[in-house]
Formats: sequence, C-alpha cells, structure tokens
Amino acid sequence: MSLLLCTSVSKRFGGIRALDGVSASVEENEILGLVGPNGSGKSTLINVLSGLYAADGGQAQFGDDDLLRLTPEKIAAAGVARTFQIPRPFATMTVRENVSVSYMFGHQRHSLEAARDAATEWLAFTGLEAAAERSVDELTLHQLKFLELARALATEPTLLLLDEVLAGLNPTEIDESIEMIKRIHERGVALVIVEHLLRVVTSLSHRIVVLDQGRVIASGDPTEVMEDPAVVAAYLGGSKPNA
Amino acid sequence: MTSRTKTLIGFAVVAVVLGLVPNVVEALDAPGFYLTFLFTMFFWISQSSSWNILTGYSGYFSFGQGAWFGIGVYTTGILAAKHGWPFLVALPVAGLVAGAAGLLLGLVVFRLRRLSGEIFALTTLAVSFVLASVARLTSLIDGGTGIFMTGTPLPEFLGDFRTSMYRMTLVIALLTVLTAYLIFESRLGWGLFSIRDDEEVARSLGVPTFRYKMTALGTNAFFGALMGGVWALQIGFVTVEDVFNIRVPLLVILMAVLGGMRHWMGPVVGAAIIYTLTDRLNSAGLADVNQLIIGALLIVMVLGVREGIYLRIRARWIASGVMFFGAMAVLTVFDLTSSLIWDFSYALLITMVMLLIPTPLWERLTRRRVAAPPGDPPPQQPVPSGTAST
Amino acid sequence: MDVDLLAQAAVSGLLIGGLYATMAIGISLSWGALKIINLAHFTFILLGAYLTYQLTTTFGIDPFLMIVVVFPLFFLAGALLQVFFEWAKVDEFRSLLISFGLFIIFTSLVRTVWTADFRRISSEDNPYASASIFIGGVALQVPLIAAFIAAVVIAVGTSLALSRTHFGRAVRAVVQDAEMARAFGIDPRRVAVILSGLATAYSGLAGVFIAMFQVLSPTMTFAWFGIVFSVVILGGLGSPYGALGAGIIVGVVAGVSAVVWGPLAAPLVTFVLLIAALLFRPAGLFRRSPA
Repeated sequence: MSLLLCTSVSKRFGGIRALDGVSASVEENEILGLVGPNGSGKSTLINVLSGLYAADGGQAQFGDDDLLRLTPEKIAAAGVARTFQIPRPFATMTVRENVSVSYMFGHQRHSLEAARDAATEWLAFTGLEAAAERSVDELTLHQLKFLELARALATEPTLLLLDEVLAGLNPTEIDESIEMIKRIHERGVALVIVEHLLRVVTSLSHRIVVLDQGRVIASGDPTEVMEDPAVVAAYLGGSKPNA
Repeated sequence: MTSRTKTLIGFAVVAVVLGLVPNVVEALDAPGFYLTFLFTMFFWISQSSSWNILTGYSGYFSFGQGAWFGIGVYTTGILAAKHGWPFLVALPVAGLVAGAAGLLLGLVVFRLRRLSGEIFALTTLAVSFVLASVARLTSLIDGGTGIFMTGTPLPEFLGDFRTSMYRMTLVIALLTVLTAYLIFESRLGWGLFSIRDDEEVARSLGVPTFRYKMTALGTNAFFGALMGGVWALQIGFVTVEDVFNIRVPLLVILMAVLGGMRHWMGPVVGAAIIYTLTDRLNSAGLADVNQLIIGALLIVMVLGVREGIYLRIRARWIASGVMFFGAMAVLTVFDLTSSLIWDFSYALLITMVMLLIPTPLWERLTRRRVAAPPGDPPPQQPVPSGTAST
Repeated sequence: MDVDLLAQAAVSGLLIGGLYATMAIGISLSWGALKIINLAHFTFILLGAYLTYQLTTTFGIDPFLMIVVVFPLFFLAGALLQVFFEWAKVDEFRSLLISFGLFIIFTSLVRTVWTADFRRISSEDNPYASASIFIGGVALQVPLIAAFIAAVVIAVGTSLALSRTHFGRAVRAVVQDAEMARAFGIDPRRVAVILSGLATAYSGLAGVFIAMFQVLSPTMTFAWFGIVFSVVILGGLGSPYGALGAGIIVGVVAGVSAVVWGPLAAPLVTFVLLIAALLFRPAGLFRRSPA
C-alpha cells in the first residue's frame, strides 16, 4: 500500500496542459526524485498535491484522503508538508516564531506555550538555534531554506514535498543541505524531491520519476532511468512542444 | 507570575481607577466635560481596537468600520427608541446583528478564490454606502426622517446621562481592548498574523484561514456596533448623514496606523493621541488645520515610524515616561493652562515630538549621552553567509 | 413611465458616463500599471474643478481654455507625486495609506482656501452651464457633450499610445516584468513618472468639466467613490476603452435608476453594481475570465 498514489492527475492553465495524466506513487519512508526539463510540470505537481492549485482531474490517494479534494489546511493536517522554491518566511516574525506558528497548526494542534518550546527542537535540528530570535530579513538564502525545512518539519508530516530546495546555493551549502535531507529521512519522513541538479537527485533518491511536458516518461531506479534514451532526448530538447 | 497574569492585573487596575473617575469628578466638583472627553476617547479606543483585530492582525484592510457603527446606532435606535426595548437589552442585540452581518459578508467574500486585499477593501467601502442608502430609503429604518434617541430611559444604577455614557463606554472599551489582547496572545492571533504575512503559506501549514478570518471580522463588527449603539445616545438625533459618513472609518484607520497595527496597544495609544489632538484643535477653532495635520501625520508615520507610536514608546520608554510625566507635572503644578486636558495634550505633543525623531538620529543622540564604556564588544553582526549553524 | 423622460435620462447618462470614464481612468491606470490605488486622484479631480472655478471667475477665462492650463500643470503634479513614491520605496499598502493622507491634506486645503460654501462659476463666466443642444426632443447639455468627446479622445488616444508607441510598449513591458524591462534598457521609474503624470492630468481634466456644470463643495469627492470605483473595476484595471465602456454603462444605469426610483436610488444602484463587479467580475466586464 503506497503512502501516496497519484492516478491520472491533470492540470490545465488555459490551453496548456501542465499536467497530463500523471500517475506515480510514493512508498513509505522512501525518497522519490521528481525530475524533468524546464516546464515539465514538476512544481505544478507539487502545487496541486499541496492544494495550492486545484487539479482538473485524477486522484492522489494518501491514506483515507484524496489530496486533490482537500483544502491546503486539511492536507497539512493529514500529514503532508511542502517547502517553497523561493523561501516564503513570515516576514514580520522571528525565526523562532515562524517555526512555532507552524507547530501550532500542523498535523496536530498544539498550544501557544507548547509551541514556543517545541520550536527549539526544530531549530536545533536545522542548525538555526543561534538565529532563533533574529528577524527573517537578516538570514542568508541558505538559512532561509533551512527555515523552510524547519517550518515544514514542525507540522510533523509523514510526507514532505521539497520544491527545488537546492536552487541558488553554493557547493558547500548544497552538501549541507544534502546531509539535512538525509537526516530528515532518517526520522521516518518520506520525501519527494523536485530538483534540477541531477547528480544530487540520483544519488539521494531511491526512485526517480521523470516528467516531460506534463507526462511521466520514465520511472524507476535512478541510474537506469537517467540512461533511458527517452529521458536523455527530453533533456536535450528532442521532443515536440505541447499542443 | 506570567506576563499574562501581569497584564490581566493591569487591566483590572485600569478598570478600577477609570471606574472611579466619575466619583472623583463629582467629589472635586470638577467640570463634567472631563467625563465627556474621556468617554469620547473610550469610543475611539474601542472602535480602532476592534478595527485593528481585523485589519491589523489579518492584513485584510477594511474601509467598513462605518457599516458596523451604523448598524449599531440604528439597531439600538429602532429597538430602544422606536419599539421601547430596554436599552441594555437592545445594545448586545445590536452587536449580534452587526456580527451576523459581518459573518454574512465574510461568507460571500472570503469564499472567493481570487479575493485580493484591495478587492476586500473596496467591498467593505461599498457595503457601507449600500447600508447608508438602504437606511435612507427604508422608512422601517430611517426613511430620511431620523430617529430621536434623547429621552431613551437608562437604568438608574448607571447614574446621570454623562456618567451613564462614561460607564457604558468604559466597559465596552475595556472589553474590546481585552479581547484584542487575548486574541493577540493566542493561536487565533498567531494564525491571523500568519495570514497577514502570507496567507497561502499559512494555509499550507494548516492554519484554518477561513474560520479565523470570519472570527476576526465578526469580532470587529460586534464591537463596532456595540459601541455604536451606545453612541446613538450621544448623537441624540440620529440621521443617515450623521452616522454613515467617512468620519468613523477614516479616523479609526488613522488611529490604528499612528498607534501601530502590530500590537494590541497600538490603537489605544493612537486613539488617545489623535482624539486629543482633534479635540483640542477643534476647541481652539482650528478645525481645518486639524485635517491638514492629521493627513500630514499619517504620511509621516507611514514613512518614518512604520512600527507605530506604541512600539516606538516601548523602544524609548524611559525618555517617553520622563517627558510625558515631567511635562504633565510641570504644567499642572505651575497651573500653566486652563484645564487638565490642555496639560494632557501639551504633554502628549512634547512626547510625540521626541518620539518622531528618526531612529538613526535618536541613536546618535542617546549614545552620546550614555557613552559606551571602553572594551565593549561591537554590536552583533549579521550571521556570516555560507554557514547554516552559527 | 414617461418614455421621453427615460430617453432623456439615458442620453444624459451616456454623456455623463464619458465624464465618469475620465474621472476613473486616472485611478485605473495607476492601479493597473503602477499597482498603486491612488486615492489622491479624487482630490486631483476636485482641485481641477476648483482651479477652473477660480481662474474663470478671477480672470474671466473661458472654462474650455482651462483644459490647456490644467493638463500640463496636473501632469507635472502627477509626475512629482510619482517621484515621491519612488523615493519613498513603499509597498502597495503603504502607498494606499500615503495617498489617503494626501487625500485628507488636499481636501482640507480646498476647504481652507475656498471654505465649505458651495461654489459655482457664474453664468457670465460660464455660458455653457445651461447651454444645450436639442436633438429629437432630447436635450444634450454642452458641458456633458464636451466631456464625452474628451473621454472618447482620451480613451482612443491612450489606447493607441499603449499599443502603438514606444512609450506604450515600455509601459506594458514594465507592468509585466519590471526587471526584465530594465534589462532591455527601459527605465521603469521614468515610465512610472510619465504614466502618473498622464493619469493625474486626466483627473484634473475631469475636474475642469465638472466645474462647468456642477456646484462645487469640498466634500463632493465622497459622492464620487462609488461611481469611480465601479467604473474602474467594471472597466478592468488599466484599460482605457474598458473605462469608457464601463463609464457609459454606469452613467446610463445610474441615470435611468434615478428617474425610475428617485434620486436616492442612483448611489445605491452604483454601489450594488460595484459589489457585484468586485465579487463576480473583478477583472472587468470586458476581459475574458474573472481576475
């Protein structure tokens, strides 16, 4: 029984089929890489699964719920969290407050008092403890991305969707982020990683799904998939544009 | 003792002290105008606080405070004056009617998928005008004839008219500000703040945004009408023009912006300052200058004191305390003005001037006076980039 | 219901709709292109009206000539205002508040200079106020005809400018992506300043026409909120033709409602229209999909 089973998920924007019958699964405690050339629908899929966009068709079975029929709040309550590619921290709050707010509302509801203390755990986990009382405009991009992680983790998810968490980081920061992702996984959280850096994704993921123009063109073992000629062609631009 | 207990004790103390003012005024045979001044201030404190619960906390800008005020005035007017209901029964009913209207508005407006802040703001503006038109057109409500509120009987225990107004407005103002405080320090409050900062992200973290926005809107409407209901008595002869004009929505915005929309005390401070200012300018015959100053003040505040006066006071609390109480002391002891209210307003003015000094200049001034001893560590640098842990 | 009366109301409504469009286009352009809801535009209309009143009364200038005076003057004012906004680096919410502050300041200035008494250009200085052209039993007031023609010229001119000229393309580029526009050598700030100048000039112009046939008072702006915002929303942000079309619709609907249900019905209808527009067609009547 998969943790998440997507069947024929579709999303149109006007005349463009951003997602055209995407079917994929995420197993318990696995790291699934979601890759594909620009415009293939990776971020759209994340947005649809987290409830930011309404899907036009299909299902996303997560336990007893179909994520595509839930509001973002209910999706968070069900145990699915996500990070944003460009970090979106709560600008008027401190680092600690960002995390406590998340803890208060996520998978289970917690009180204000409990949240203030619990936030410490997540801040320590992501190494942001020393910056806890800072306001978010003092943070570097790397720290902001870790704040995204801390905030998402504080909702106590079973499934975490990471949308290009490595974008914009330098090599040292990327290595630290990879370590962080591994540690998150060790806690028993299943991960879907949307990423452009193929070497990273292939080394981190247990399985990979490749999207191109809204369709799944390959899925399975990372190394095998990346050598698939269809995948190579998609990346090198051999495929025709979406009608 | 937790800070919450301390604050609640503070509320109790303020309630008792302010509650005794009418007795003191009577004992000292002081002019009754002091009571009027204070209870008008309570009116504005309540209106701007309730407005801030919606707009300041959630970020949904409302031009509609006039709507709730109007509903409050007219509901008590109809129930108490036209149909003879006991005033203290009509009052909470007025609050509930407005609360229901607010929830109805929210039901329609918050359900819209692509509702932007500006559209919400304009909708609230339009709703106020629609209510005014409806009130004017329907003789059930007003029909252009107005409602006489003078002579509406009030319970004996409240005292004479002025004292009754004082007591009622005090209670409502305390309730409003207390509510603003309790929400501020609650999950609801933090949920609203997250909505204000980024509603989409808040939803994805599990914040029940619709429910919370409805709560804020309903609370705003309830208290706006509750105080409006009391104010109907002060207006005396209620007409549509008097009630549904731009004054209430405009001033609450100014007061909350000036005082600071990020803290529950902001609107209280802002209301006190702006009301005192307008009241004194009016009594000095400078009503036009009034508006000019307020407009200029708004711009200065938005540009220069973004966090609002209250948080500025907190940052400079020693200087503020010294200036304000010092000025009050000097003015009252040396009997330099004709009334306590003038003393209060001049003290406010002097303190305001100090508070408006731009932060960089202020820091330079205060550092010069309190020189740092040698060997102090330099001010904390922002965390160096490239490292996640510091 | 008297058909003649209805016809008159509809025609007058059509013409005054042109004026509504001119009143609204300033805010529409500001909001659509500059992303600022500039409440000061209401006071620019007011100032345009009072300035027209004063100069025609003091110097006996023909009110129509005021167009030539007001346009460049208000263009400059609008440009300066935008320079101020650029310097202040404020976000949308704060610019709304600042424009609100300006609205208050300008209104109080008007009240201080001209007092709260009603002002009206005398008929010797303004022969057009009562002049009408009669077509088929329907009277067309001259100031309204002029306002309508001006509105059409403005709508056509602005639309052409936006679609055909280099400046217009620059505006559209900046609206879509300011950073990218900058990469192509367009200075978003300069574009914003010129656009703001244009928007303000239009508002001032609306004031000139208002002075030609209405009684002026400092608080008349409040009556305009409903009308102007209805036109802005129904017409779609930043669309000159949309503003014209919406202005005509609002003008006719309000005018006919006033005749059918009485003068008090007009603002009610306008605001209900506004609410309906906000809730169901926030992108305007003339755009394909809602928002």
